[in-house]
Amino acid sequence: MPNRFGLPDLGVGLGLRTVHYARILEARPVVDWFEIISENYMQTAGRPLHYLDAIADRYPIAMHGVSLSIGSTDPLDRAYLSELRALRDRTRARWVSDHLCWTGVAGRNTHDLLPMPYTEEALDHVVGRVRAVQDFLGAPLALENPSTYVEFAGKAMREWEFLARLAEEADCALLLDVNNVFVSAYNHGFDPRTYLAAIPFDRVVQLHVAGHTHHGTHIIDTHIGPVVDDVWRLLGDAWQRAGGASVLLEWDAEIPGFDETHAEALRARAFIGEAA
Amino acid sequence: MNRHVVDVDLARERASATPADLGAKRRQPAGEIRDRSGVANAGTSAAQARLDPDLGGLRHQQLWFARAVMTPELAAAVVTDDDASHVLTDGPRLRALDRLEIYRRSYRSRLIECLADDYSVLKGALGEAAFEDLCQRYIARHPSEAPNLNFFGRHLEGFCRDEAPSPFPLRQFAGDLASLEWAIVEVIHAPSSAPLTLDGLRDVPASAWAAARLVPSSAFRLLSFENPVNRYFQAVREGKAPTLPSAQRSATVVYRSGPTVWRMDLTVPMFEVLSALVAGETLAASLSRAEASFGAIDEQQAAERVLGWFRDWVGGGLFGGVELR
Repeated sequence: MPNRFGLPDLGVGLGLRTVHYARILEARPVVDWFEIISENYMQTAGRPLHYLDAIADRYPIAMHGVSLSIGSTDPLDRAYLSELRALRDRTRARWVSDHLCWTGVAGRNTHDLLPMPYTEEALDHVVGRVRAVQDFLGAPLALENPSTYVEFAGKAMREWEFLARLAEEADCALLLDVNNVFVSAYNHGFDPRTYLAAIPFDRVVQLHVAGHTHHGTHIIDTHIGPVVDDVWRLLGDAWQRAGGASVLLEWDAEIPGFDETHAEALRARAFIGEAA
Repeated sequence: MNRHVVDVDLARERASATPADLGAKRRQPAGEIRDRSGVANAGTSAAQARLDPDLGGLRHQQLWFARAVMTPELAAAVVTDDDASHVLTDGPRLRALDRLEIYRRSYRSRLIECLADDYSVLKGALGEAAFEDLCQRYIARHPSEAPNLNFFGRHLEGFCRDEAPSPFPLRQFAGDLASLEWAIVEVIHAPSSAPLTLDGLRDVPASAWAAARLVPSSAFRLLSFENPVNRYFQAVREGKAPTLPSAQRSATVVYRSGPTVWRMDLTVPMFEVLSALVAGETLAASLSRAEASFGAIDEQQAAERVLGWFRDWVGGGLFGGVELR
């Protein structure tokens, strides 16, 4: 239990995707754990839950959200939170995570992970909301660093400082996406190891890896294709700093068959093994 | 029973990734982005809607950013190069407006991708360019207000009938096809319920039959069309490249049994009976509607035919229960 929250190191898991349902349920492959996108199983009472229940009966689950919109200046959506909590209880999810971002304002949802301005005002705002969400869930919330493509002028601090201070002041957990660190480092011109050095790793309960798409002038966090070696090496570094944490591969487009996807996830073992 | 499974998982997940396919129009190099906004800035009405970047505070920053991202691309003049550089920083290789443009493209791509998942056959029927154009206008008219995208496409049928960029008959065909595809989405997400079984039906006392009401499963949609869209849908599913059919009235039932979604074409008498049952009419009243639409066949034949339907429908899981009063 390396993290301060006592949350387990589940091993190397895979993002649960519909194209893999049949293979998982028929072949029952040995997989350490699955991460679900929370919203895919919300506002539905039908087939998604049919599959999820069957998979949650057999594998450990963690929930990863994309619409909490923790940074938005709109009020927290209590109906959303209630449904999130009910899904957590239904799946017996080990923890709930979402992103340090906002997804919309004035009642509109862009369904994108929009960047925060890293200011004192924004920090105070998010700290208060994280505390409120944790009180509602009765459990720590894990927040993930997003990939970003812009930075606001007039920022008071860099993202890693904002994230570290947020975690301490809100007493929340972190989901560190090392691919996002890599993507943002390229897009904004910083050293990813500077980022890692600032992270309070005793709060890191999970690590993400994924593929991305390099456009020369910028990198897009597409979750396509194999993970590049630089990102694997960052994973090894982060895993070592954390003293162990659950690792998860996200693959969201041009998804290969289950066995190939899982094999890519399991490559993590070589890198965290080297680092350990 | 002539029914077909929906063999593609239409409930594709939404994820935290940024879409890779930003669309043909949106694959231009960064430099052209500024050209486009420059053009729009030259005296268009959009230029008059330029966002004021001189706003302090997190709320204003978010309102500015959201509007910049959600404004349709052809109205790009709402954010000028100078405005973007006032609010955002230039990056090592891209200027602020180019960086902002990544979010603008991503916003539309993600939503178009969602609509294409839910309406894949409609997309094929209209063609990629016309479908994308329809989606762009749909997104502007019906921005999402929900935490997920499960029901984002719910207005597309009506939107097609009013707005599809095509001659009237094709517009109606598009509306019918959208109606069928949306019914599939609704049925995927409808609550699961235990189906009425043939054994359950046999338990109904003979004396209670006439006044009994069959309750459709909650994952059940009865549809009628001016075009044979289910036949078209099935041909596409079978890998064929069907031409758009002439108008011809048709009826289809879409329902889910366990995780499997089925589509089944209905004859006129079948549709009459199911419509009556869905409306809450008794079995006796529903069957009399069938008899009226059979025309000249004898009573024995009619009874056998209807019995066969009921066996198929109940065996297929169309009904969730039977009410006896």
